[in-house]
This record gives sequence, C-alpha cells and structure tokens, in this order.
Amino acid sequence: MPQIELKDISKIYTVGGQTIKAIDSVSLKIARGDFLSVVGHSGSGKTTLLSIIGGIIRPTSGNMLFEGGDISNLDDDALSGYRNEKVGFMFQFASLLPVLTSVENVMLPGLFSSADRSDDYRKAAEYLDIVGIGDKINSYPSQLSGGQQRRVAIARALLNDPDVILADEPTGDLDEETEADIMALFKRLNHEKKITFILITHNLHLAAQASRRLRMTRGALEEF
Amino acid sequence: MTKSFTLFSFATRNLKRKPLRTAVLVLSIALLVSALVFILSFVRRVDTVVRTASDRLGADVIIVPAGSRGAADDILLENTVKTFYMDKGLVEKVGRIKGVDSLTYQTYLASITGECCDVPETIVVAFNQDTDFIIKPWLDKAMTGRLKKGEAIVGSESAMNISLGLTEVDSHLFGNLFKMVGTLEKTGTGLDTAIFIDESNIEDILIKGKSGLKPGQISIIFARVKKGEDPSKVAGDIQDSSVEVNAVARKDIGRNILSTLKDLNRVFFVTVMLVSVLSVFLVWAVFSAIANERAWEIGIMRAIGAREGHVSGLFLVEVLFIGMTGSILGIVAGTTISVFLAKNFMLLKNVSAGLGLAERLVIALLSLTAGVGICVAGAMSPIRRLKKMEPLLAIRKE
Ligand SMILES: Nc1ncnc2c1ncn2[C@@H]1O[C@H](COP(=O)(O)OP(=O)(O)O)[C@@H](O)[C@H]1O
Ligand SMILES: [Mg+2]
Repeated sequence: MPQIELKDISKIYTVGGQTIKAIDSVSLKIARGDFLSVVGHSGSGKTTLLSIIGGIIRPTSGNMLFEGGDISNLDDDALSGYRNEKVGFMFQFASLLPVLTSVENVMLPGLFSSADRSDDYRKAAEYLDIVGIGDKINSYPSQLSGGQQRRVAIARALLNDPDVILADEPTGDLDEETEADIMALFKRLNHEKKITFILITHNLHLAAQASRRLRMTRGALEEF
Repeated sequence: MTKSFTLFSFATRNLKRKPLRTAVLVLSIALLVSALVFILSFVRRVDTVVRTASDRLGADVIIVPAGSRGAADDILLENTVKTFYMDKGLVEKVGRIKGVDSLTYQTYLASITGECCDVPETIVVAFNQDTDFIIKPWLDKAMTGRLKKGEAIVGSESAMNISLGLTEVDSHLFGNLFKMVGTLEKTGTGLDTAIFIDESNIEDILIKGKSGLKPGQISIIFARVKKGEDPSKVAGDIQDSSVEVNAVARKDIGRNILSTLKDLNRVFFVTVMLVSVLSVFLVWAVFSAIANERAWEIGIMRAIGAREGHVSGLFLVEVLFIGMTGSILGIVAGTTISVFLAKNFMLLKNVSAGLGLAERLVIALLSLTAGVGICVAGAMSPIRRLKKMEPLLAIRKE
C-alpha cells in the first residue's frame, strides 16, 4: 500500500464568480521514504497540491488517501491530528508567531499534540542547532532575518517526528551554503528516519537530487 | 534541561502584546466587580443590621415621642446620635394599656465626641436599673451588683475606643466624672457605641446645664407584652391612647430603612445590569478586534495541527486571566471601599466590617463568578468565530 495516494484530485477556486482550476485531475502514488521534488511556474498549483496532501485544504473532487484512509472523511479534530502528527509543513511564506521566541515557535506543535512533551525543549533546541541558529533560541522573529526565520520554521516542522515533510520552497531566501546544509539535513532525515519528502523548489539543482522529480503545469502533474 | 511552554504562557504572552488594552479590560472588570462587592455588602449589611437589631431588642414594642420614630430607628439600628424627649408621665399612661406586661425607659443625652481622632459620636443613655430588661442581657458577666452614681457601662465598640484612648470618658461626660465599670458584649446594634449610666446621674447633668434635657423628661419607653398578646395590636392601642407618642412593634422597627433599602436595591440592580451589559459589550468589542488581528496566526496554528478546542482554549485562558485578575482586584477594592470609605456615611457605616467571613466569602465568590462570567459571555462569539477559522489562511501571504 502506498503511504500517500492521490486519486483524480481536482481543486477549483471560485473568486468573485470566476473559477480557477488550480489542480486538474492529479493522480499520484507515494511510497514511504520517497523523496519527491516538484518544480513548476508560479501559479501552476504546487502550493495547492501540497496543501491538499497536508490536509490543510480539501479537494473539490477526488480522494487523498494516507496509509489507505481517505483524509477527507476525517472530522475536524482527526484532521487536525493528522496535520499535527503525521505531517511537517514548511510554508512558502513567513509563518512564525511574533509573540513567541524561536524555541517556543518550534515547540508550538507540541502544544497541540497528546504525546509526551517533556522532551520538547531539548529537541527544539537541538533542531535549532542543526539548522544553524542554536544561538538564537530566545530571539523573537522580529529580531531574525528572513533566512533565520525560515530555519526556525524548518525546525518547527520536525518537532513532532512527522512521517511526511511537505516543504514549500523552504530554502527560497537562504544563501547557497545554508541551502546545501538544509538539503543535506533533509536527505539524512529521509535516509535515516525514512521520512517522506515532497519538496517544492525553483532550484533545478536541488530538484535533481530527489529520487522522483515532478513538474506541474497549469494544475497538471507529470513525472520526468 | 526542561523548560516548559504551555498554553498558559502562550496566553500571557498574548496579553502582554497590548498591555494598555489588557489593562483597560482588567480595570473595567475590576470596576464592575468592586461595585458589585460594595453593593452586595451594603445590602446584606443593612439588612442584617436591621434584622438582628430588631431581633435582639429585648422589647416587643417601643414608644417614642410623636414624630421621632425615624430617629428611634436610627439610634437602635445605626448608632447615630439623636435626642428627643417626652414627658416621663407617659410611662404610667402606657403601663395602663391592656396587654402591656412590663415597661422600662431610657433617656438619651447628647453625645460626647472623640478627643483626637475619627471616633464616631457616642450617645449617652441614662436608664432605670430597677425596670431595665434591655441592657441587662448584654451585660458582661464580670459586672455584678448595681451601677452606682458616677459609674458607667459601655458598649463593646465604645469600650474599644476608650481603651485605645480615643475617647476620654472621665472628664467629658457633661462635666461629670465617670468611671467605667463594665462592658456590654457585642450586640451588632446601636447598643455597641453607647455609654450607659444610671438615671440618678441626670440630676447632676441638668445642674451642670450641658444637656438639652429638661427635668421630668425621658426619650423612649420599651414595653413587653403579655404572653399571647399581639405586639402590633398592643402598639396600635398605645398609639391610639395618646397623640404624644409613636408606638412601634418590634418587627416593624427599621421598616422604613428596609423599604428604602428595597428602593436602593432597584437602583443598584439597574446600575449593575447596565454596567454588566456595557462590560460584556466591551469584552466583545475587544475580542472581536483580537479575532481580526490574529486571524492569520490562528490560521498558522490550525495548519500545524491546533484543534478548534486548542484555539478556543487559548483564548479562554486569556479571557479567564482578565476576568480573574479584574475580579480579584475588584473584590479587594470593593471590600476596601465598603470598610473604609463607607465609614464616612452614616447609613453605610461599617458596611463590610460587620459582615462575617463566610458572608464576605460568599459575596466575593458571587462577584468573582459575575466578573468572570461577564468576560466569558462577551468573548463567546468572537472565540467561536476564531476557532472556526480555516487553516487555509496560513498558506497565503500575510
Ligand atoms: N485561496 C485561493 N483562492 C483563490 N485562488 C487561489 C487560492 N489559492 C491559490 N489560488 C490560485 O490557484 C492557482 C494556483 O496557486 P498556487 O497553488 O499557490 O500555485 P503555486 O504554488 O504553484 O504558485 C493560482 O492561480 C492562484 O492564484
Ligand atoms: Mg506556491
């Protein structure tokens, strides 16, 4: 059984009477431990696709299965639990809460989980160290650069030991060196922990390092 | 290394981001609750004072000069100082009314005041030891035998003032020297602040000319009715027998005060209701603004797995914090106001000081519930809106 299976997924946005077909009949099977890269022009539907897989938005039609179960059948609490425990989402845009320090932002998903949280602080500090900002654990987002904030968000996605990491242009505003570090971390996690990765990127060099490469064009997905 | 990060610390962090707004909310709740505490204490206190005082009064009917009924209530219930006089011959006249069992009378002499500090005026009461049944039950066990000329018994509160040196009895009782020989137990009535002397002293006081009293006058007659007689009927008969007096049955003592209290209650009720509605509205407005400000943050939280319950929990902690802090401040302020400020008003005197711990706890709890309840009520609909926020928002740029 594939870990994730998209069956004929479509997503239509309706804005002011106009309809936009953001995802057009996409089907895809992903096995546990796959490392996928997705490239495509801006507006081609990459973020929308990732959000459907992450249980953040519901498709207009089609089914999104996780370990055989259709997540659109889940009630709100169960779907929240899925987002919290199974998925680590790295958003395309800034997503840190301004009132919380780096380490608290990283610990935030822990607040919403029912698992034992006693180790969260140590883990959060360790992940911040790994992404290279161990000296900024008590800084607030406003005291960090865009790239540093991005790294905090990466650490946050890792806290709950997700099965799948959905990374929406996570290294967009990082320098090449850091980008390489992060990519190495992703590969290590993919390799050691069998975490599935779906990485949206504009960087063809990064995309090439994935085990499966996909391209989105106006809502349609092709593997190449 | 275990550093915890909880929903509570998250909530307090949110409260601190707009300290002024939080403070305004807390203060308005505090204001409401302090008003509530004060009003409840006041109503409760006046009610108890009136009821215990009339319950504890050892007479079934009191008789005062016509037109002095309110003044008598004031003395018996509220420790105010008033003097009024009638002819002593009325004692005998009242005694002849059918149904009257026994009688005693007292003479109220204008007061002595404090030496140095803010001591309430004290009324001096001359009483007839042979017939007295009003003071005797409250007499300290230590005091035995008759009160001699030049000796005084004092109410519990006066005793305290005297022992603290706040009231000088010896030199100031109408130019006569008095010796304090006994103390009354605390009665919770007007007796507490009075000083009692035997009526044989009146002669000297009249000679010194320091009182408005004329020879052959008394202030008040207390009557007990025979077993099986209706005090109200006896009071009516006494009233009918002479135009010079007002006769009041015990249960009607303080009725004026209680009916005034009922009117006051209505005013209080309307005031509290208005302020409550305003507070609910204020909380609602503030939390609606908060809901808009933090929509994006809630979207993020939802996207990383916050359930609806987590979102409402977070805001509920904020609301409860505001409600609790405001209420506790309000309870402290309200109690302080009722204890201290109220001393400046005759009617409000000792409003809270006279309440038992249990009563005060009940009032505090009621007010706390009201304060917190109002906060929760006001925040309810904004919180409901917040928790229904779609996680979708998080993936769009701020
Ligand atoms: N919430 C939304 N409401 C309306 N249209 C949207 C929404 N989100 C995305 N779209 C539209 O859907 C299309 C795909 O968007 P998106 O998935 O963000 O693409 P990408 O991530 O590849 O840039 C775009 O045309 C975008 O304008
Ligand atoms: Mg995008």
